[in-house]
This record gives sequence, C-alpha cells and structure tokens, in this order.
Amino acid sequence: MSGLTIPEFLALASALLALSIFGVLTRRNFILLLIAIEIGMNAAILNFIYFAAFPLCAGHSALSGQAIAVVTIGFAATEVAVGLAIVLALNRLKGTTNVAESTELKL
Amino acid sequence: MVDFVALLSTFLPEVVIAAAALLVFLLDVLGVRRTEVTAGVSAAASLLALLFVVADLGIAPFSAVATLPSGLLDSSPASASTSLYAFTSLGLVFQMIFLSATFLVSLASASRPSAEPGAPTFFGLLLLASVGMLFVAVAADLIFLLLAIEITSVSTYLLVAYRRRDRRTIEAAMKFYIIGALSTVLSFFGASLLFGAFGTTNLYAIALAPATPSAALVLVGYAFLLAGLAFKVTVVPFHAWAVDVYDGAPDDVSAFLAGGTKKIGLFAFFLVFLGPVLLARWATSFSPFGLGPFNAHPVFQLVLGALAVLTMTFGNLLALWQKEIKRMLAYSSISQAGYMLIGIAIGTSPAIAGATLQIFAHVLMKTGAFLVVGAVAALGIGPLVDDWRGLGQERPYLGVAFALMLLGLAGIPLTVGFVSKFVLFSAAIQAEGYFVWLAVAGVLNSAASVFYYARVLKAMFFERSDRPAAPSNAGRLGANGLGYGRAAAIAIIAVVVVLLGIYPGPLLSVMQSAAQHFVLLGP
Repeated sequence: MSGLTIPEFLALASALLALSIFGVLTRRNFILLLIAIEIGMNAAILNFIYFAAFPLCAGHSALSGQAIAVVTIGFAATEVAVGLAIVLALNRLKGTTNVAESTELKL
Repeated sequence: MVDFVALLSTFLPEVVIAAAALLVFLLDVLGVRRTEVTAGVSAAASLLALLFVVADLGIAPFSAVATLPSGLLDSSPASASTSLYAFTSLGLVFQMIFLSATFLVSLASASRPSAEPGAPTFFGLLLLASVGMLFVAVAADLIFLLLAIEITSVSTYLLVAYRRRDRRTIEAAMKFYIIGALSTVLSFFGASLLFGAFGTTNLYAIALAPATPSAALVLVGYAFLLAGLAFKVTVVPFHAWAVDVYDGAPDDVSAFLAGGTKKIGLFAFFLVFLGPVLLARWATSFSPFGLGPFNAHPVFQLVLGALAVLTMTFGNLLALWQKEIKRMLAYSSISQAGYMLIGIAIGTSPAIAGATLQIFAHVLMKTGAFLVVGAVAALGIGPLVDDWRGLGQERPYLGVAFALMLLGLAGIPLTVGFVSKFVLFSAAIQAEGYFVWLAVAGVLNSAASVFYYARVLKAMFFERSDRPAAPSNAGRLGANGLGYGRAAAIAIIAVVVVLLGIYPGPLLSVMQSAAQHFVLLGP
C-alpha cells in the first residue's frame, strides 16, 4: 500500500490548519470566516482518518478513527448551522455580514 | 445488547435535564409562554437532578434514592480505559456545582417578562447547555469530552443571541461564536494528534500507555489542546473575547457564562492535564525532536503555573481601569480563573480540593454579582460605577448582597471566598518548591483586587447619589421592583456565601475525599 508518509501527511494537515487560522485572522466577512473554520475542522477529521488507516501503534480505541470522523462531521454541520443563524440575525439588523462593522462593544 | 433502561438509570440526572429541555420547547410550541411556568420547569428539573447527584455521592440522608449501580463510582482506571464515560466522585461534585448554577439562573430568570420574545427558548437552551455540562463531568474519552463541551458551546452561542433584535447581544454572539469555533478547531486538531500518537482517545488509556512511538506528536497535540481549552477558561493570552461577550450578553446569560459554562473548561483541564501530567508512565522519559529523554511532568506543571500567574495578574491589572461594573466583573472573572489554575498546576489532592472549592465559590459569587447587575439594570440605573453611587443606601438589601459577593471575590474572611483561597494557597505552600511562589502571587493578587472591589463599595455606600429619585416600578415586578425569582436567587447566594464562609466543614470534606479518589484513580 503506497500512501503519504507520516511527515508528508502531517504537513498537509498542518497546512490546512494554518490556512484556517490565517483565514479566521484576516477575513472580515462572516461567511468566509465560517468557511475558514470548516477547513480547520476538516484538517482534524483528515488526521483521524489517516491515523486510523495507518496506525503508529496497536490501537485499542473504544471509538475508531473513522467513527470519530463521522461524528465530528455531524458536529461540524451543527456548528455551521448555528453560525448561519447568527449571520442571518446580524444581516437582518445591520444589512451587512462584515464583522468589522460591528463596533457597539468597545474593546 | 445494551440494556437501555439500566443505561438510562445511570444517567438519570442527564435524562431529567434533557427531558425538561424538550418539555420547555414543547410548551413553547403548545403556546404556554408564561415565564413562571417554563422557569418553574427549569428550576424544578435542576433541583431534582441535583438531588440525584447528591444521592449518588452517598451523602446522607439522600443516599436512599441513589441510582448509580454500586461499583461504578470511582472504578479502576483499567475498567474506565475501555469506556466512553466514567463516574468519579470529583465528576459528581462538579455536576453538583453545574446544577446549582443552572438552578440559580433559572430561578432568577423567572423574573423576566413573559412578553419578551424568545423567553421559553432561553430556558430550553439553558437546560440543553446543562446537559452538555453534566456529560463533561463524566467523560473518560477525549472525543466524548470535546463533544460534550460542544453541546454546551453551541447552546450558549444561541443563548447569547436569543434576543435577536438587540445589536449588542448579536455582536457579542458573533464574537463568542468565532472564538468558540476556532477553539473547537484547535482542540479537535490536538485530539487528532494524540489519537495518532496513542491509537486511542481514551484519557485513562492514554495515562496508562507505557510509551508512545512519537513524543513530538504528543507534545504538539497537548499544546493544541491547551490552547483550545484555554479559550474556554479565558486563560491569558486567550481571554480577549470574554469581556465583550460578558458585557454584551443579557445579564442572566452573563451570569450563566461566567458562573456556569466557564467551569466545564476547568474540569476538562482536570481530566486532560492532571492524568498525563501526574500519572502517565510515558512522560517520565520524554524525548521530542531528539532533545534526549527528560521528565515531562515538571515542564507541564511549569507551563500551567506560569499561565496561572499571568492570568490572575493580567486580569486584575485590567480590572483596575474599568469604569463599567459588568466589564470589571468580567476581568475579575478572568483573574479568578488564574487562582483555579494554581490547583491544576500543583495537582496534589489538597490542591485539587482547594481548586474545586474555589470553583464552587466563584460560581456562587460571580453568578450572584451578575444577577445583582441585572437587577440594578432592571431598576433603570446605568452600568457605570458612578451610576451606582448611593445605591447601598437607597436599597440596603441589594447593596449588602452585592457587598457580600464582592468581599467574597476579594477573599475577605467570613465568606466562602476566603476559605477556598486559604485551602488553595496552603496546599501550594505544602507542595513546596516554586509552588510557594504561586501562593505568594495569589495572595498579592487578592490584595490588589481589593482596590477595585472597594471602589465600587465606596461608591455604593459612602457617596451621595446625584440622580433623581429612582423611578418606581414596584407595580411591574414583585419584591420591590426586582422580581421575586431574582430576589430569591440573590438572597440564597448571599446566605450560602456567608454560611459556607463560617461553616465550610462538610462540603470541604466531601471535596477532599473526592480529590483523593481522583488522584488515586488517575486521569
């Protein structure tokens, strides 16, 4: 079975996570922030699938990696649904999904 | 085949709260929108669940109704290492703490007007968040723990946002959501790396693992988990969201966030960092990035201790400058998280007991303080310290209650805040080494915090009000304009704060024995 080696794979997952964090820090549109957060969740989900398929040591998990991945995908969908609800409320109140225009609470 | 009835009876407190949440949503659909009814359901369910938890802990005279099968409580790490959940005494003590926060907030929120849109949703979400909190306390698996935290987080995002037409609450919800979701990503990423390193996500199995093929994965995994959980606990430098969220959220929700849900992150710290830090065999010969084998325990402890000192000092310094009471309380809440981290850094059983008591004390005092802020706002008085001038003379009961909460937060004798700090700091001194300096930092910070609490008290009791006579709204709500529910909740908290300050013995001994079990048991 040829596949990515562990360092190669970890580089991929870390790149996805870095992309996600960069997106959260630089984007000002709430929808793009949601997408950035999803990319980060997918980095973690990929890790679970990879380490379940190519274990480093004999595993004895009550939940196997693939099962964790499925549960996590379901959870990520819930979280995005809540995020979209907040965007809708924000858009209805202010007519914008730009986060930078929300400055009622001073820092 | 799983016996579902037996399974449900072991999770009776969780089932009661979840059923109450569904009932509240059902009542909303059926058109029963009176706040007294939904608040009653919520308060009654949390009291009932509290009774079951106390019974399961085996405290007379309640132990007769215990539902937990014997042998399940504080079972051995080996049996917990194949399960998703494990019942520990310390977990049940935390369930007790969480449920008292839910009860107090439900009781206080009974005073919100029924006409307010979304009032039933508020109680439903409050109960759903409590279900997540209860599950956190029995978690034995990292993924179970993270998902339980997320049940609470998702409910609290909506709880902050439930007043949909208020710009401030929506902005607070937005900030809360972005930071919360980012912290979730970090925690899950950390968990996935630990899964790679150990082949399991069970915390007990991780603690029992003799060695790990990749120390670097473990180190990076724990670093991500630390960052993810630190956001939830508002550890400096991951604290910035808390002040805006506590400020912008409705007052009852701020009380629940600062007094309730923040504490699940602390219990997660207990589970995740005490096991590997104190017991794990793999940690004694740790060799990441080819640095050569060394003992990882002191390094973990040093990091947690440094974060503790940073958190309490930073929170206190910023609290000194605040002019708004709610923001001052938010910063004080950040600094209090630092005291609790001391207990986690030390990790001996007296320190865990001290941190647990400190957490309980903080739940009472901070919930109470935010409820008083809500009550004062309902009276039509502004949010600034200057607006509160003379309040203690005009409304002596409210003033005395708030004074008790603040004195407790500052750690003045005869309040529970003094007892908890005393137990915690003496545990730090017993632990010797540089932990003594953690106690010194804690005492200095407590002394510094007296300044900003005293400033509010001085304004309330010794300065003359320059506002016109308070508008009379005694006709709108009972208990002199506060509402009976809110007045009752504040009174209960004030009495308990003093009572536990004078006579902490029974509660403290329950916490001490739970902490001893926890240290023996692992994680």
